[in-house]
Amino acid sequence: MLAELGHFSLVLALLMAILLAIYPMWGAQRGQQVLMQTAKPLTVGLFLFTLFAYVCLTQSFIDNDFSIAYVAHNSNTLLPWYYRMTAVWGGHEGSFLLWVLIFALWAVAVAVFSRGIPLDILARVLAILGMVGVGFYLYILLASNPFERLLPFYPVDGRDLNPLLQDFGMIIHPPLLYMGYVGFSVVFAFAIAALVAGKLDATWARWSRPWTLAAWVFLTLGIALGSWWAYKELGWGGWWFWDPVENASFMPWLVGTALLHSLAVTEKRKVFKSWTVLLAIAAFSLSLLGTFLVRSGILVSVHSFASDPTRGLFILGLLVLVIGGSLLLYALRAPQLRSAGRYELLSRETMLIGNNILLCSATLVVLMGTLLPLVHKELGLGSISIGAPFFDQMFVYLIVPFVLLLVMGPLSRWKNQSLAALRNQLLAGLGLSLLAVLLLNLGRDGLSYMAVLGMALSVWIAIATVQEVRQRLSAVNHGLAGLKALTPSHWGMVLGHLGFAATIMGIAMVTSYSVERDVRMSPGEQIELQGYEFRFLGVEALTGPNYTGHVAKLDVFVEGKKISHLQAQKRFYTVQRNVMTEAAVDPGFTRDLYVALGEQLSNGDWALRVYVKPYIRWIWGGAAIMALGGLLSMSDKRYRMARLVKASEPVSKLAGESV
Amino acid sequence: MKRIGLFLLPLGLFLLITLFLLQGLFSNPRDIESSLLDKPVPSFSLPDVMDASVQYGPEVFQDQVTLLNVWGTWCVTCAVELPFLTQLREQGVRIVGLYYEQELDPDFGGKTIQQIRADINKTVSQLGNPYVFNIFDHSRDTSMDFGVTGAPETFLIDQQGRVRLHHVGDLNERVWQNKFLPLYQELSQ
Repeated sequence: MLAELGHFSLVLALLMAILLAIYPMWGAQRGQQVLMQTAKPLTVGLFLFTLFAYVCLTQSFIDNDFSIAYVAHNSNTLLPWYYRMTAVWGGHEGSFLLWVLIFALWAVAVAVFSRGIPLDILARVLAILGMVGVGFYLYILLASNPFERLLPFYPVDGRDLNPLLQDFGMIIHPPLLYMGYVGFSVVFAFAIAALVAGKLDATWARWSRPWTLAAWVFLTLGIALGSWWAYKELGWGGWWFWDPVENASFMPWLVGTALLHSLAVTEKRKVFKSWTVLLAIAAFSLSLLGTFLVRSGILVSVHSFASDPTRGLFILGLLVLVIGGSLLLYALRAPQLRSAGRYELLSRETMLIGNNILLCSATLVVLMGTLLPLVHKELGLGSISIGAPFFDQMFVYLIVPFVLLLVMGPLSRWKNQSLAALRNQLLAGLGLSLLAVLLLNLGRDGLSYMAVLGMALSVWIAIATVQEVRQRLSAVNHGLAGLKALTPSHWGMVLGHLGFAATIMGIAMVTSYSVERDVRMSPGEQIELQGYEFRFLGVEALTGPNYTGHVAKLDVFVEGKKISHLQAQKRFYTVQRNVMTEAAVDPGFTRDLYVALGEQLSNGDWALRVYVKPYIRWIWGGAAIMALGGLLSMSDKRYRMARLVKASEPVSKLAGESV
Repeated sequence: MKRIGLFLLPLGLFLLITLFLLQGLFSNPRDIESSLLDKPVPSFSLPDVMDASVQYGPEVFQDQVTLLNVWGTWCVTCAVELPFLTQLREQGVRIVGLYYEQELDPDFGGKTIQQIRADINKTVSQLGNPYVFNIFDHSRDTSMDFGVTGAPETFLIDQQGRVRLHHVGDLNERVWQNKFLPLYQELSQ
């Protein structure tokens, strides 16, 4: 019964989306208030019906209703209740239901929080979201229905949730990532609505910024969490694999980052308009492309759900309509945009556009690396694989000019910056950072150039950020009390850049100074790695609710003092017949100790992988700081909805504020 | 309107990508095409698995059409195809084995060469021996150069020593008739 109700509710949601796509847009084009006002209630309806369908599916999981095919394939009576709730997005159909739920949530958020936006713009934005929604609801109903029944012959028990997904990180990783992906649909809708209306101005940029920030914050957290999960769960001690699906989430992030900065310029200086619009379209397009890559099984990856060409075709058709259509509209409308502001070669505008270009180059590198194997094969040139070395090398080339611009940008003025002043600050910053790196590396043998480069870049960003805050303080001339005068969005920028510096530091240290050993050990044996003594106590049997396995116990000593006890597990999930590694990690501010349990060898010894990973927490910590920066920026008064009522407020008043 | 060309660029790029995605949808990502096709076999110098003093190089593929079969006694599917391969040998097909040992790790070590030889002798005496000889890829480097992703895999190599076909998975009657035989007959003439 629940399944049928849920299914019916989804049909109603589709109906809402269709109405939403038609009436408000019609009203906006004709100037009819009544039609425009239907946008909000229709959006709320869309959300409520989707939510109801989602709740129905969740309840079916909790009730272990194995007459529903999707439940039978992704759950089991032995599965703990919290995993039964998260199993809703453990497979293809359910994760798509979550996708549309989050989509509807964003739409309703736009409807509720945009009181200051003129009705015709809001009607258009919601109508665009409705159009995109029609495609997705059609897809879920026609090609990927989670409520399909297995009647009359249904299984007594389910096939269990993929054990890879039975982990806390996995409970929140997909929803966060989807919040990010789908969040760009709002920015996209704003851009398309502005193109349709022919009104691309500073107010458009100001409305888009908080939504872009919100999506970007979620995406940042989602990616960081995914990386943390892979580190813990896959048992190779890696944190980023350049897997096609990781790339698919990284591309919207890169473009989203570019968009954040470009929107700032468009809002402040009314330049780069057509570029910003293109980025807004690209961010959502890449999110959709990511969805396609995961759903279609076109690329082999740990994330792929089963291949099914009909589903792939449907999504590809959707991509062509949504992305192709919007790019066509862009090609027709963008040439009429004129940028008003003027700026010199040495100015903040130039630095920001430079960074934009580098971010887009990085996106292209990732896109090419991801799709090239496919293109190569389809051209009949044979199968190739592009691995981490290619991406690593390209990113090393890109990061140096990127950081240089990142350091110069905030220190430069809009319009025109004097070379001499900038040069002095840069040299001082560079000198200080080299000195700091020298001190940090004193006494370390086996110095790596890559690590030194990464550390220098990281420290330089941090120093330049401090320089910029000082420069701003001396401008307001209040001493330290002036710190309060800085806007939240300014602090957002400061945190964003500091977080980025922390991430670079983590990456540089981990890639260059990680040590790992594959060892065979018998109980009582110990090995030494970088001053840490790992003593192997032995292996015990393990029984969980839906798995059995082994757990290896180790004590870690430094100079004879016990500092940690580690338990590395190897689990065998009985229903899915899968073996999973649960690595044991002793986290630390400057290093992680990481042990993964391998196979038992013929003579009773065990194979173990032992790692010492310096500064790896900094990678995710940096991402968290960046996300915090994004949140701070969002809290800026300027975006508060009450203020937006005065949308006609002259932009020039804001020109003195920060990015 | 001159500038419109520039603004059409993203659309063009997107449509181009779409074409490839469309094509990719209908091909199996696990269906791997060798990048060695129509190229000479990679160079190598490896011993015979039974006799370390005998060395082989790419010249063993000259002047004869050869099937190069990648296998190991640890591989279950390889055992399944041995009888059929033996039939082929009886029909006059030249089959060379490229042997690699799963339980011999370059770092960890593992099985001794004596154990490996004993296992091979046991397996081929039970299931048939299709091989003229077996090249022993102890470090698995040559398998990598050939683009081997697992075992069993079979390459058809022509008289000039060029790879003409790469098959992943077991070689059975159906695969032989449909995939190998036409090309094999053409090359043998």
